[in-house]
Amino acid sequence: MRYAIAIGLLAALLAPLIAHSDSVLAIAIYAFMAASLAVSFNLIFGFTGQLSMFHAASFGVSAYIVTILVTTFGWNFWLAIAPALAVVLILSLIVGTICFRFKLKEFYFAVVTMAFSEVLRLIILNWNGMTNGSLGITVVDRPSLWTPIGNVAISGGVAWYYLTLALLVVVYVVCHGVLSSWIGRCLAAIRLNDQLGETLGIDVFKYKLLSFAIGSVLAGLVGAFYGFYSGFVEPHYLSIPLGLDIIAMVLLGGVGSLIGPVIGAFVLTALPHVIELSAELRIALYGSILVFVILVMPKGIVGLIGSKRNAA
Amino acid sequence: MSQLIIGQMLNGVIVGSLYGIIALGVTLTFGLTGIVNFALGAFMMLGAYTTWYFYDVLGLPYALAVLGAVCAVSVVGYVSDRALFQFTRGNLVNGLLVSIGMISVFEALVLAAFTTTPKDLTYVLPGALNIAGIILPKIKIVVCVVFLAVIFGTYLALTRTWLGRAAFSYAQNPEAAALMGVHTGRLQTIVVVYSTALAGLGGGLYASMYSIEPTIGSGYILKAVEAAILAGVGSVIGALGGGIILGISENIGSVFLPSAFRDAYGLVFLIAILLVRPGGLFGDRP
Repeated sequence: MRYAIAIGLLAALLAPLIAHSDSVLAIAIYAFMAASLAVSFNLIFGFTGQLSMFHAASFGVSAYIVTILVTTFGWNFWLAIAPALAVVLILSLIVGTICFRFKLKEFYFAVVTMAFSEVLRLIILNWNGMTNGSLGITVVDRPSLWTPIGNVAISGGVAWYYLTLALLVVVYVVCHGVLSSWIGRCLAAIRLNDQLGETLGIDVFKYKLLSFAIGSVLAGLVGAFYGFYSGFVEPHYLSIPLGLDIIAMVLLGGVGSLIGPVIGAFVLTALPHVIELSAELRIALYGSILVFVILVMPKGIVGLIGSKRNAA
Repeated sequence: MSQLIIGQMLNGVIVGSLYGIIALGVTLTFGLTGIVNFALGAFMMLGAYTTWYFYDVLGLPYALAVLGAVCAVSVVGYVSDRALFQFTRGNLVNGLLVSIGMISVFEALVLAAFTTTPKDLTYVLPGALNIAGIILPKIKIVVCVVFLAVIFGTYLALTRTWLGRAAFSYAQNPEAAALMGVHTGRLQTIVVVYSTALAGLGGGLYASMYSIEPTIGSGYILKAVEAAILAGVGSVIGALGGGIILGISENIGSVFLPSAFRDAYGLVFLIAILLVRPGGLFGDRP
């Protein structure tokens, strides 16, 4: 599995040399960002067993904060990421503390996090002066990168390709690091039986909150970049369907594996572009594939390949 | 002012009964199959469109159109239970995702067939009653009465008939129920189909109050799930109560606070209730 990931990463690094098509690069860029979201979500869902519906909210809030700081207040893009992540961290700590302190589980946790995320979406939707309401904000700036030869604006497919690939690698490495440490083992204990974990001396509340906060902040990191690549932010970024898309990617790829969500994100991002159908039929087919995968391949693509699970 | 508040409360009850009838389906399905059927919103939308089709295109009388729509939606519900839902029993996440996949299939197919142009049936029963200065459209009163009758009928059927008691016993202890001669598989199918029929009825009557679009279901299923949880999953009358509380809190909330946030008032209320009583208002589950 480790070799497969290394080969995949190498292929991803070399791919822009071969594929010059802008549309292929764009799909890859969106897939990298979707995969980052899915990997960070899987930390909360697959490895800690908490069905969070707050992921899209973390992503969207951060996208909005970075965009507003840059376009309205003229901040530097890289500088604006820090306050955005700080806000996401605070929000996730508040929501997480409420949910875990009151020991909300499974479906109840999902519904309460969904409720919080809807409230945030409504605030953004109605705060017209700052967020431009349902129209969203158009982003024209491009972040620039400091290099020895001066500031280079990150624009064009190839630059974004490598930037988002780096983003995915960062998210992946952070999640891998968390999961291979003692934290990962505590999370596994909580997922399997949190009452037993509690009796064994694991601070269930603390580790659930930690996993929720790390996953949410990583989603916020993705959000910071997303608005700048796509060129606009809109309240739809916080919507429930986006959260469901993330769940679908994780399930399609394989819950409980780190690389599974990456595969799922690639398949689900590329699929609509591969199928040449009218928009309605494409959505119908997408839904059918989702249903089919869940019923026929409950362990996702990774489970289907039958390879050994990644160390959790 | 008091007229405004009473009027908003009555509106809340009417909208709440619509939440309640779908919440009843959510509660029943969750109690007996352990999944939350988000596709009930899509079934509601199907009911609305079938009613519109029977009434407007085929020219059936409205009541017959609604009845036909309920039957048609039940058939779709039966087919999807046999083909899909029966494989997700007891698996919350899979059931959730299968039902979400079905939403996109249904919505896309209806969109392809009838386009996004809203369909309008609101002329079925025109006119309004004026009770002490509070104006209520007749159709809303009729719809509310039908919903209340169906919910109480369901309650009576669940408590007074063999099948209903079988359902209760299954919800308490599936194995014991099976040993007592309950065909558990059949019972689950009946409940799933019945909840889709309720959603179809909800949709059929919805069509007479508001214009319909392929996406109407998604908003209402969220409200219904909120109502079911607010009330406590598994409680039949609670589903109605939860729906009405939600409807009233939204309507009264938008009198005193900005109405742009009307969806948020119910949610905040829901969070508050769940934190104080995790089992819901009427439920006793921990």
